[in-house]
Amino acid sequence: MPYTAEISRANPSCFLFLIDQSGSMADPFGAGESGRRKADGVADAINRLLQNLVIKCAKEEGVRDYYHVGVIGYGAHVGPAFSGALAGRELVPVSEIGNMPARIEERIKKVDDGAGGLVDQSIRFPIWFDPVANGGTPMCQALGRAKAILEGWLAQHPACFPPIVINITDGEATDGDPSAAADAIRKLSSNDGEVLLFNVHLSSQRATPIEFPDTEAGLPDQFAQLLFRMSSPLPAYMRSIAQQEGYKVSEGTRGFVFNADIVAVIRFLDIGTRPSNLR
Amino acid sequence: MHVFAQPFWAPKGGSTDREYEDAFWPRKRMETTATCLRFAVADGATETSYSGIWAKQLVRYLCRSSGNAPFDGDGFRRLQQRWSTIVGRRPLPWYAEEKVRLGAFAAILGLVLYDDVDREGSGRHWQAVAVGDSCLVQMREEEVLVRFPLAESAAFTNRPYLLSSNPAHTGRVVDHVRNMDGTWQTGDAFYLMTDALACWFMREAEEGRTPWRVLRDLDTSDEIKPFREWVETLRKEGAMRNDDVTLLRIDIT
Repeated sequence: MPYTAEISRANPSCFLFLIDQSGSMADPFGAGESGRRKADGVADAINRLLQNLVIKCAKEEGVRDYYHVGVIGYGAHVGPAFSGALAGRELVPVSEIGNMPARIEERIKKVDDGAGGLVDQSIRFPIWFDPVANGGTPMCQALGRAKAILEGWLAQHPACFPPIVINITDGEATDGDPSAAADAIRKLSSNDGEVLLFNVHLSSQRATPIEFPDTEAGLPDQFAQLLFRMSSPLPAYMRSIAQQEGYKVSEGTRGFVFNADIVAVIRFLDIGTRPSNLR
Repeated sequence: MHVFAQPFWAPKGGSTDREYEDAFWPRKRMETTATCLRFAVADGATETSYSGIWAKQLVRYLCRSSGNAPFDGDGFRRLQQRWSTIVGRRPLPWYAEEKVRLGAFAAILGLVLYDDVDREGSGRHWQAVAVGDSCLVQMREEEVLVRFPLAESAAFTNRPYLLSSNPAHTGRVVDHVRNMDGTWQTGDAFYLMTDALACWFMREAEEGRTPWRVLRDLDTSDEIKPFREWVETLRKEGAMRNDDVTLLRIDIT
């Protein structure tokens, strides 16, 4: 059965994030009510994804290398997007990501006090990426680069849980139709199944956020429809967890969100017992 | 009553003994005669941190308690505070701090055997309490008398409700505490198992095999293989999920 390989330090899997850093990302996010730009949305999404992935793999002795992680930026340039000590590296063990954020900010979070109330708690929030908006949107080139990186990974880790690629973009590629390049990624596979390609569409449209749809009918524009078609269906095991978390899913449900949060995908990953009362 | 108890344990394949996050009591092989004996196993969740410490605390809590040990009273809240104190002793990296904030989680299963000669009828009785998916079976010769709290292999998932060290996650704990009682006879055996082993046991029994014989024979001249080797073989065959494994075998002789 596909998508059943154990993810462990001896048999790690791979996460590859593609982040759109093109000039159009300076446009407002949603209808601009929040005063935020799409580039802010991208930076927020990638920082939260990395934060959640590191926390997922963290144990008391440190971060266990269940995953190797890459971030490819595309805009004025296409290539590895980490800065600082990780600059220029394509795939990095998740422990190094955890130990080397660009900086750590203090934020206040409201948390349950266990007695029915909320209390303010100061938490440390790591930042790896700041907003960037510059140049065109060479999405085809970025997908091609991702394919080359994954081919290398899969040659070395043929029995791994299939790598997951998350592309965060406003969907407006400037170097052609990205469908074929996306197909080529989804056709790559390990012994345990095909690579999963998920897309996060951040748009300037004022439209209701959409999470994990099972049809393109109802998506607000042709870019959203294209990204939906480029996205992999959620494998059965992910659908089952998504369902337990309250998402409405069917066999057609795809790894696609529109102006919404995709951090839930990290909760869908299975590295061992996860309590149902931990949300 | 005269009881012989023996624990068996193995860490998840690919992990070290130090990374083992189950807990159990008694810690060593024990042979004793008593009128009341307490046993427990607990299983710390892989995805939470410091869950091994929490599992040990829960086992101690159940086995040192003189009566029922509820999971929503002051004693339990003190246990949760104690966990926070233990893990908050030194500065932590941001990710470890976040894991501490989320809390540790563990399944717990406790068994008390009574031999109350002054009580009529059910003097030889037992009580069990469980939260989560660690299970016990009561054996009488070749018959499985009781399966508790889960009764079939299909009931095991990777997302059980577990006891948390964080009070924010134990608000509805009473809905998830399972209790059971029964009587015992000399010659009965109880096997307390964490989830991977319990799931294997249930599946084997469902398919008409006799898993209790394998457990009964461990560490005797009839054993198929020593416990760890046997577990490793099952994992390789795909018959047992790769997880920390604990068995507490209790024979009333």
